[in-house]
Amino acid sequence: MNSLIPPSNDAGTPLLSVRDIFKTYVQGEVETEVLKGISFDLFRGELVSLLGPSGSGKSTLLSVLGTLLRPTSGRFTMRGIDLTGAAEVMLTAFRNRNIGFVFQYHHLLPDFTAIENVMFPAAATDGGETDAIEERAAMLLARVGLGARMHFKATKLSGGQKQRVAVARALMNRPALVLADEPTGNLDRESAEQVMELLAEINAESGTTFLISTHDPDIAARCHRHITVIDGRIGETPPFPRAAA
Amino acid sequence: MRYEFKVALRYLASSKFQTVLLVGGVGVGVLIFSFMTALINGLTQFQIDQTVGSIPHVVIEPKEREPRVLPSDHSGTEVLAAVQRGTVQREQIRFWQNALETVENDPATRVAVPVVAGNALVTRGQVVEPVSITGVRPEHLSEVAAIAPAIVAGTANLDLDGVLIGARLAHNLSVEVGQPVVIRSDRGRERTVKVRGIFSIGIESLDERVAYMNFKSAKALLDLDHGISRIEVKLKDLDSAASAAQAFAGATGLKATAWPEKNKRLFDAIQGQNSTGGLIKFFAIVTIVIGVASALLLTSVRRKPEIGIMRSMGVTKGFVTKVFVLQGVLVGIMGALVGAPAAYGFCALLADVARRPDGTPIIPVDPAQGNYLAGIALATIASAIAAILPARAAAKVDPVEAINL
Repeated sequence: MNSLIPPSNDAGTPLLSVRDIFKTYVQGEVETEVLKGISFDLFRGELVSLLGPSGSGKSTLLSVLGTLLRPTSGRFTMRGIDLTGAAEVMLTAFRNRNIGFVFQYHHLLPDFTAIENVMFPAAATDGGETDAIEERAAMLLARVGLGARMHFKATKLSGGQKQRVAVARALMNRPALVLADEPTGNLDRESAEQVMELLAEINAESGTTFLISTHDPDIAARCHRHITVIDGRIGETPPFPRAAA
Repeated sequence: MRYEFKVALRYLASSKFQTVLLVGGVGVGVLIFSFMTALINGLTQFQIDQTVGSIPHVVIEPKEREPRVLPSDHSGTEVLAAVQRGTVQREQIRFWQNALETVENDPATRVAVPVVAGNALVTRGQVVEPVSITGVRPEHLSEVAAIAPAIVAGTANLDLDGVLIGARLAHNLSVEVGQPVVIRSDRGRERTVKVRGIFSIGIESLDERVAYMNFKSAKALLDLDHGISRIEVKLKDLDSAASAAQAFAGATGLKATAWPEKNKRLFDAIQGQNSTGGLIKFFAIVTIVIGVASALLLTSVRRKPEIGIMRSMGVTKGFVTKVFVLQGVLVGIMGALVGAPAAYGFCALLADVARRPDGTPIIPVDPAQGNYLAGIALATIASAIAAILPARAAAKVDPVEAINL
């Protein structure tokens, strides 16, 4: 299943290594430099918050790390594979097997049920909904507390439930890294707490690395480590109480 | 492809109203295609039955003799010669039985009819009218002309002493069925025959100037004891007339002319009609393409965020393309399966209901000639082609922009 992944990673070897990443948008004759030399490492099992004011470049950085955007310059590797100049077909396959996304808006496919949404990343690339895929999706939905609602249409779920389905979907292909962009931004306080609790538990259980972009200090406080982006550069991180690992 | 099919089907099912409109649009396109095909083919058949059906598909006649130019005694001298067709010998097919047998045995031939023809004057009392005599065997009369259904008095009986004349001629001669008339041919021979039947084809020149006689009687009257005027051939396949004529000419050594050559205007009219029908069918298919393409293009725009999320999940561009092309194919198949039976039903209804009191069709549509399978195949292919542009647009969706990351 994970043919693009090297056999194993030592605990001391970074899962993701980002070096001097620049990203410049060009619109006509106007050039906007959004990322200005970002460098950091992420290790297996880390729960890391990505902080910074709006417009600082957090979402662009997540897009680059998620292989949805190519950096203008710099280099980043994941699981020892250099993704900087990889072909699009290879990046698509790599993304499918190694990276999960949770967005501010759940972005569930409205015509599909909860379990169909969770199965989608695997079924679309493996040729259909096999028993093994269905079993894992059902297990994930049960894990996020939606075992009883797995056959509900996405549109019939509440906002918090939809976001939990999105979390299950992000985990479907057993990714090494989950990138979450304001995953609680659209939720009420209670739902936000539940989703963040869920991410922390999954991180602890499975060792999946999470990089969570957030403005919420309470969410950030649950993370092991913080990376702050200010005006496209890594900046000083404000003091947060460190969550129990 | 199985999962792409499921997603495509789910998309179509989720937008029921749009899908119904799309399927309906394709169905109407197929209906127009098949109706036009049934109409044009029916109309062509009707015209052929009305015209070509009563004329021979190939006419075999004596070969025209080319007058010979005698060579000059003075070699190198240019000779100018005025040539004139010979009038010494009468044009007829001699030893016609051999030629008839050759043509009859050709697999393309449905029936070959020996015909004698000539001019005559028909007299009753003091009234004298010119007529064109056509002599055929009684069993071949319906192959030469659609006289039997046009009989308005008497029967289409061609016995040795009988003649069939047109209604207009009967009126001019003041003659009725069973009464005698005298026919004098242009060869000076004369015979008294009885009017067995009066026909009304509806074409004045035929109803006034044509008379049908028994083959043997006509041969004697026209002084064609050893020959006939022509062999009229009806073919199994009307479209093979030109090649059949060529084959007959080669096999018999006689002049063989196909019907399009002898009836160029009619042939051109049928050709023009077919071309017009083809153009209308083409536009029906283009309408399907435009309808499906624009609807799916709108779908690709509406579903942009979903496509973006799929792409972010590592779904390939090929997957997205297939989902959209499959939607086009499914819409095409469903539309065609709705449109083709509807077209057949519509054509059958028209053919059944739209008739004049005498039973002739007002709209000569032939439900059996709707070419429904071609309609289904073309609609499906057109819909699939129409889906390619939206599919490409969908596959090009930038996930970052679509998700507004």
